[in-house]
Amino acid sequence: MALNSSQQTISRRGLLKAASCGLGGLTLTGLAPGGAAAGLLSPRATHFTPKAKRVIFLFMAGGPSQFESFDYKPALKAGGGKKGVKNGKLLAPLAKFAQHGESGMWVSDAFPHLAKQTDELCMLNAMSAPSRAHPIAVPMLHTGEFQFVRPSFGAWVLYGLGSENQDLPGFFTVKPTRTFGGPANYGSAFLPSTYQATRLGWEGRPIKDATISNLTSNHGLNQSAARKSLELSQLMNQQLLGQTEDVRGVIDSLELSDRMQSAVPKVLNTSDESKETLEAYGIGGGSTDDFGRQCLLARRLVESGVRFVEVSSSGWDHHSNLDKFKSKAEQIDKPIAALLADLKQRGLLEETLVLWTGEFGRTPETQVLEGKETIGRDHNAEGYTAWLAGGGVKGGLTHGTTDELGYKATDGGVHLHDLHATMLHLLGLDHTKLTYRYGGRDFRLTNIHGEVAHDIIA
Amino acid sequence: MMRPRFCLLTLFSIFLTGGFLFAEEPPQKAVAKGTELFESKILPVLVKHCYECHSKDGESIEGGLELDSPSGMLRGGDTGAMLEAHHVDQSRLLQMLRHEDDVSAMPPEKKLSKEVIAAFEEWIRLGAPDTREDKGPTAKEQRLDEAKQHWSFLPPLVVKPPAVKDANWPRDPMIDNFVLARLEAEGLKPARDANRRTLVRRVYFDLIGLPPTPQDVNAFLADESPEALEKLVDKLLGSPQFGERWGRHWLDVVRYAESSGMEFNFTYPHAWPYRNYVIDSLNADKPYDVFLREQIAGDLLPSAKDETPEMVESRRIAPSMLAFGPKRHNSSGTDYQMNIADDQIDVVTKSTLALTVSCARCHDHKFDPIPTKDYYSMAGIFLSTEPLYGTIKQKYSNNPTDLLPIGKGAQALHDAAEQHEKKITQAEKPLADKQTELKKATETVELAVKERTNAEELLAAVTARTAAAKTGGESTATEEGDSATADTSEQETAQKELDEATAKLTATTAHAKALKDEVAKLDASLKELKKNRPPRPQYAMSVRDRAKPADTKIAIRGDFRTRGEVAPRGFLSAVNIPNTAPVDPTRSGRMELAQWITHPDNPLTSRVMVNRIWHHLFGRGIVPTVDNFGLIGKLPSHPEMLDSLALRFVNEGWSVKKMVRAMVLSRTYQLSSAINEKSLTVDPNNRLLWRASPRRLDAEAIRDAILMVSGKLDLKRPVGSTVTPLGDKLVRSISTEKIQPPSNHRSVYLPVVRDYVPELFELFDFPSPSLVSGARAITNVPSQALYLRNSKFVAEQARIAAQRLIASTEASDDAGRVSLAIQWSLGREPSEVERNAALQLINEIKQAEVKEGDSKDVNAWSAWFLTLYTTAEFRYLVDAEG
Repeated sequence: MALNSSQQTISRRGLLKAASCGLGGLTLTGLAPGGAAAGLLSPRATHFTPKAKRVIFLFMAGGPSQFESFDYKPALKAGGGKKGVKNGKLLAPLAKFAQHGESGMWVSDAFPHLAKQTDELCMLNAMSAPSRAHPIAVPMLHTGEFQFVRPSFGAWVLYGLGSENQDLPGFFTVKPTRTFGGPANYGSAFLPSTYQATRLGWEGRPIKDATISNLTSNHGLNQSAARKSLELSQLMNQQLLGQTEDVRGVIDSLELSDRMQSAVPKVLNTSDESKETLEAYGIGGGSTDDFGRQCLLARRLVESGVRFVEVSSSGWDHHSNLDKFKSKAEQIDKPIAALLADLKQRGLLEETLVLWTGEFGRTPETQVLEGKETIGRDHNAEGYTAWLAGGGVKGGLTHGTTDELGYKATDGGVHLHDLHATMLHLLGLDHTKLTYRYGGRDFRLTNIHGEVAHDIIA
Repeated sequence: MMRPRFCLLTLFSIFLTGGFLFAEEPPQKAVAKGTELFESKILPVLVKHCYECHSKDGESIEGGLELDSPSGMLRGGDTGAMLEAHHVDQSRLLQMLRHEDDVSAMPPEKKLSKEVIAAFEEWIRLGAPDTREDKGPTAKEQRLDEAKQHWSFLPPLVVKPPAVKDANWPRDPMIDNFVLARLEAEGLKPARDANRRTLVRRVYFDLIGLPPTPQDVNAFLADESPEALEKLVDKLLGSPQFGERWGRHWLDVVRYAESSGMEFNFTYPHAWPYRNYVIDSLNADKPYDVFLREQIAGDLLPSAKDETPEMVESRRIAPSMLAFGPKRHNSSGTDYQMNIADDQIDVVTKSTLALTVSCARCHDHKFDPIPTKDYYSMAGIFLSTEPLYGTIKQKYSNNPTDLLPIGKGAQALHDAAEQHEKKITQAEKPLADKQTELKKATETVELAVKERTNAEELLAAVTARTAAAKTGGESTATEEGDSATADTSEQETAQKELDEATAKLTATTAHAKALKDEVAKLDASLKELKKNRPPRPQYAMSVRDRAKPADTKIAIRGDFRTRGEVAPRGFLSAVNIPNTAPVDPTRSGRMELAQWITHPDNPLTSRVMVNRIWHHLFGRGIVPTVDNFGLIGKLPSHPEMLDSLALRFVNEGWSVKKMVRAMVLSRTYQLSSAINEKSLTVDPNNRLLWRASPRRLDAEAIRDAILMVSGKLDLKRPVGSTVTPLGDKLVRSISTEKIQPPSNHRSVYLPVVRDYVPELFELFDFPSPSLVSGARAITNVPSQALYLRNSKFVAEQARIAAQRLIASTEASDDAGRVSLAIQWSLGREPSEVERNAALQLINEIKQAEVKEGDSKDVNAWSAWFLTLYTTAEFRYLVDAEG
């Protein structure tokens, strides 16, 4: 078959259109594509009016202690040194608490900057999760499942909402951990791979050096030639669409790579930030520098229309060395406070849902480790603290309690599945309807669980 | 006379009860009293306060402690027994009831009354009789028994391949009948056979990890004999590239790397011989059981009759697998050794048995029938083993070990080098001594110089004063009184002092000079020694048995300071194979472990390997969780087929090549990837194997294919590794260019430095070399597209490929060149559409170029190659146009 000249010019729109059709087996259920552009990343209609449009997920890997951060336990302070219910002795909190803001929310002195933002925080003091083992809890938090590889939270959100910026990936993860699931925690599993996160940096390496490499060409072709080469490649890819869904991932990744070449350097380059902003985030050396950069990056990304940004901080697994909790907290306190203030000042906080959580929290008791009692706490998934901010939650609210020593959630409990359901709800998505058919079954982030915590919604 | 009789009776009762009685009353009476006490006081308390959290019918079984049966009472919980009949002091139960320190206070909410606690004490003193009866196994026993019935712990059974409706379809009944029977049962049909172009490309990549050249493709297409594929498969199985491809699969599994990883990350310059060992073993089709025995206990195997020195050396290199695991190096003692043993248990059990035994370090395995005791039985074996990983003592590294010298005359070379090092050390001492001496002597000279200067000044002063006195002129010294009247004797004294000082200076200077010469000489000879270090042999990592192999004790909750009972060295209790040798107490036990793992009756080993092979040929294992055959692993899609193949694998001498051959020659392997809507709906993941799953090539194949197209791939094996000349260093102190120098060798030979793998590897899902990885992730992200479009490596190779294309005599015009490029890259001819589009692209670039001559053409053609590299077809095994 010979092509006439108009057919020979390969049109990008035509490619996109073709790419969106005829992909056997790929069925988006529960949501109708919205708008004329029908790429997998184009914005989609929600189930109902959303309160939040995007998510910043601050993941504290290891399980930070609620007793040194946001859950004020006078009884534990009084009972310090007495026998605990399990093996250790009750460990009085190693931080002092005070009430802050109009709401009078309790925050420890490990978070002096965040204490000034309490009226934005919706404190969930009665969180619970299915497991207190890292290898189970980390995938549970990220994917709602641990026995099987399932799409990550960010992938579900991107699948449900599409992206507001067609020149950037819609889901970023900044310095993810490599352990306990690694890339599966930000992967797309059976969702099209278009929905998996783009990674910036790795745990343990300074974010300063992290970049997306190869944004500029080494081959010396001019832009128009490079574009033509891409179009030809896409023409060839179209022919394979019938064979595997992965080809869709290849097509989308090529298209996106093309647009990223100009969009990414802009969003990563922080030289246009004012001195005051950098200083506010704690950037410029010192213990806050790295996480400050991560937070600033998060703001720049959501500001550019990225749908979901996960920012990780590791080193919260204080089985011992809990006396170093404050210096750990110091690394994130100022940056997170700055992030909230910055989002607010730019009018972004209202529609940005910020989540701060570990995979679980910790016990009120000391940890008996290697024969010695250490200044540390074991894992606890039956009662711990997470918080939300922005995006339609009640600021200044302290929701739920654990028993007086902090072993278990008693009132106002929010299970991990409920948290997922609630966050999807805030994003305008019904967690029971955000489904994807795979292998003859409709899957969802919350599996068969999850209840929206209406009490915390503004 | 009553007393002695009573004593006799007491002694008798000791024999009866096997314990020692403190009881003052006669034993029968004590038992009766204890029994009465149990029924009246103890049992009601157990039922009321303990059963809730410690019984089968209760809410939970906390801490593994079951108090609703006599055997559960006596066994105790995860932390061991808590009840010792007659021994009040040794019964932890009492401490718990009393809410004492360092034990779990029970019941947690409220302490029992003093009377009740006293009753418990009395009851224990009376021998803790328990009138209940065991009603079946305890929950723990039950769970363990049930877990042992998990499919993978049961022996594979011979199952006759099932009958199928379409009897003409199967080629290898042991594969195809099982697959087709399932499809027919689901009302599905297998896809059509793949065309020969598709097949040849698939087989080349699967077997040797390289694309076929156009000549290879044409030769296969031209061979119309029914054995064409068989011949091709045998040719590829016989090529050295087979081991390079399949060796890499194994290197993933054993987390092969050339640095220690973790927070410090030191280079391992001597890991590479293991890499070659693996490749060579696969090329030689070494039976898989032998291959495993060598890696676990190669140093301990008895020498075979016709074993050459090379073979002995190779099996001593094999246990490197136990030495190059991730390690901290900056710690010592039990903890350090235990962490190494833990890593060894992990790699051995995951790689060979697909079991996560290391989960049982702190508690019984949560899912699998692996009690903590089994873990420590294996830990004893590895704690009795000394890993030989080398490294040197330096900052953050304080545990260097020996290495295994390898190669011709290695031991002699090593001894000479060590001897020479000793000489150097010996030479360093006298030099240091002399240097100290010289320093002192130099100080003495300096002092002498000072003294002489003083003496000189004194003499000058005296002389001046004398001269002034003699001339009697208007002395300026009058204020010094009678000093002006210094006489000649004073002058003589000063002169004498000066002479003495001069003499001393001369002497000390001479001494210092002599010392300096000596130091120079010693220094020169030391430098000479250092310069003339004799050549060292090559080294490899390995292991050896420790001097005193021993059993280890269970570390309660994984804490090696809280030791429980001794766990005699041994294997997994859930896999009991009769007639396996127990551990020889004078040896580590690795040999027996290796024999147990590779015993033909081990239900896991053969299944696990067959499944790994299947995974690499079909893109997904029959058991998709290739590294986990335990209870949270996935179930096999075709269990009977897996069993049949596992048994066949053992019966055919554990030959990996035969198994690969059988699978590739099956009809199932040779299917097309064509979609059938019905099948896709029923089975989108193709678990039932109704078609060939399109598969992404792995990072190595993508890189090697790019180098093949440019004609630059160097198929020769490089000497050693580029990590070796870097020496023992912290990886972060080495520049990236040195860690990953440019290379045209096959990807399997690129250095694998933990956390510093080449960019292309990292982008295309090379697994973390710190973790056992039988299956790689597949991602499709824009950073991959950016790499293929923009990176220096791909751009360079595209230019070289363009030059090669332009120079080729196989194409005479541009249309021919378009076609040749696509043959090199994708193994097929271009379609009309593709040819025209490619020509358009090339012409446009040529016209747009300002420059003339070669570079214009090279630019244009390299753009065509870049285009091809970015296509899905280049990196996927998919159906090609016939």
